[in-house]
Amino acid sequence: MLQPLDKSTASPLFQRRLLHHNEIEKLNINDSRPNSISSNMSLLQNGVCARCGEGFKMKDQIVNSHDQTWHPECFVCAQCFQSFPGGIFYEFEGRKYCEHDFHVLFAPCCQKCGEFIIGRVIKALNNSWHPDCFRCQLCNGPLADTGFMKNAGRALCRECHAHEKARGLGKYVCHKCHAIIEEGHIKFKEEAYHPYHFNCKTCGSELTADAREKNGELYCLRCFDKMGIPICGACRRPIEERVVNALGKYWHVEHFVCAKCEKPFLGTRYYEKKNLAYCENHYHQLFGNICFVCNNIVAGDVFTAFNKAWCVNHFACSVCDRKMSQKTKFFEFDMKPVCKSCYEKFPGELKRRLKKNYDAQSKK
Amino acid sequence: MMALEHLTRLTLSHNKLTEIPQDIVLLVNLEKLNLFNNHIETLPSNLCDFTKLKTLNLAINRLKALPRGFGAFPVLEVLDLTYNNLNESSLPGNFFCLETLRALYLGDNDFTTFPAEVGKLQNLQVLCLRDNDLIRLPKEIGGIQRLRELHIQGNRLSILPPELGQLDLCGTKQLFKAENNPWVTMIEDQMKIGPSHVFEYIRTNTYKFLYERYTEAEPEPALRKTERAKRFGKK
Repeated sequence: MLQPLDKSTASPLFQRRLLHHNEIEKLNINDSRPNSISSNMSLLQNGVCARCGEGFKMKDQIVNSHDQTWHPECFVCAQCFQSFPGGIFYEFEGRKYCEHDFHVLFAPCCQKCGEFIIGRVIKALNNSWHPDCFRCQLCNGPLADTGFMKNAGRALCRECHAHEKARGLGKYVCHKCHAIIEEGHIKFKEEAYHPYHFNCKTCGSELTADAREKNGELYCLRCFDKMGIPICGACRRPIEERVVNALGKYWHVEHFVCAKCEKPFLGTRYYEKKNLAYCENHYHQLFGNICFVCNNIVAGDVFTAFNKAWCVNHFACSVCDRKMSQKTKFFEFDMKPVCKSCYEKFPGELKRRLKKNYDAQSKK
Repeated sequence: MMALEHLTRLTLSHNKLTEIPQDIVLLVNLEKLNLFNNHIETLPSNLCDFTKLKTLNLAINRLKALPRGFGAFPVLEVLDLTYNNLNESSLPGNFFCLETLRALYLGDNDFTTFPAEVGKLQNLQVLCLRDNDLIRLPKEIGGIQRLRELHIQGNRLSILPPELGQLDLCGTKQLFKAENNPWVTMIEDQMKIGPSHVFEYIRTNTYKFLYERYTEAEPEPALRKTERAKRFGKK
């Protein structure tokens, strides 16, 4: 989430620093010159030093600040016991410090340059920064006034954060709107974009992810197809190498494949059926007739029976091997043809069983 | 006859042969050997020396076992062993090395289980296990991608492995025959409305869950059918 800097500047330390700074500018350090004789006289009589508790002698210089009085030698830094250079001191929890010791003890250090921070402090990621030192860790752009995004322990600007996030998700960031492209980007001049930022050069329609680039212009797929670059019928992408023209479509050589085994034909013979292409093997397996006897593709007339096919010349009794024609009476045994005379020579038990099964089948 | 080395097809069906001479392999160009309906009890162990044999029909014989090394045929595509006396222990260790097989017929035999190695037959298009004593199917059948014909009718199967759902056996060029099995009610109900419903059902997670529960419970398999015993009294 974007973390507003107002919060950082509103932090107690920042407030305190600001207060002291302003206050000190205004502090005027009283020298020994009495404002009025009467007040000095009363101090001599009644006043005591705020540090040592002793009274003042006639010749003593008196330091007066905020209604308190000190011997000059008592008006010193609580840390180094030296007088305040230029009379400037910082007060914290009732004690006064010279500028140097106050910084050492209480002022925040910048996480980047290591120097003390006077003035506005940027509190972010558990550290303090000079406003000018608080920059995007990727593009180095200033963040003090724009706010930052936390990304893997780094402070990043909004754009760099979006890029990083997209990269982590394996997604693209639109080069135009800098938002993540949830699905379907287009590449244009090496950069990724939401397709809807563009319109087809020819028909003006808003583009979708299947838009194509040609000569530095973007086109919708329809218009692009019409420009004469063959599009592969399988992958729908333009074909830049060898083109196969088949089934009324264009194909990448490696995408023109058998509809059954999906192996590319690579220039070998193919067979067409219902606008699909098949290799010789699968065409015949699916649609062709392979003779049960010779196991070759039936070239001439086909004899079909028992869910099988035969070359006309190869259709014969499976027992005695005598050729049979369409007119020959034959029996079925294990889905093979048997001529009548052979069938009659079957064992009686087998014949009875076959007949029984046959009758049972025909009843259904 | 063994001098006919150019012979490519030999059909000896409906005879009473009890064995095949070892010399038959001298017919080096043989592509198709048909011994349908004979009385063969044993096969010569060198039969797999037929380097060009594509079709071997041994249906309706009296084989109790296949010789060692039978799986070494290099190009065998169609193997018909229907109506013999074979079971899972009749198959030699290398049987499932027959990776060129596209059709395997083992109907009317005595298998109670079927080896998981069947998954190695990746060219298999037709698998017929009709009228055996199978009490379960190996889930590896589901991995035979080219399979388009599966006959498992007339067994003692009550459930299908959910892996079978990977197969596509419901088109006009496919076939799935599964009647005459003691199916659990859920499958039986789907069978009544059609094979595509069976496959849709066994692909569901509900079925996978029920299948696991069912197999964990290890129910007693259905009893052997008495009528089947008759068939070995062959004429």
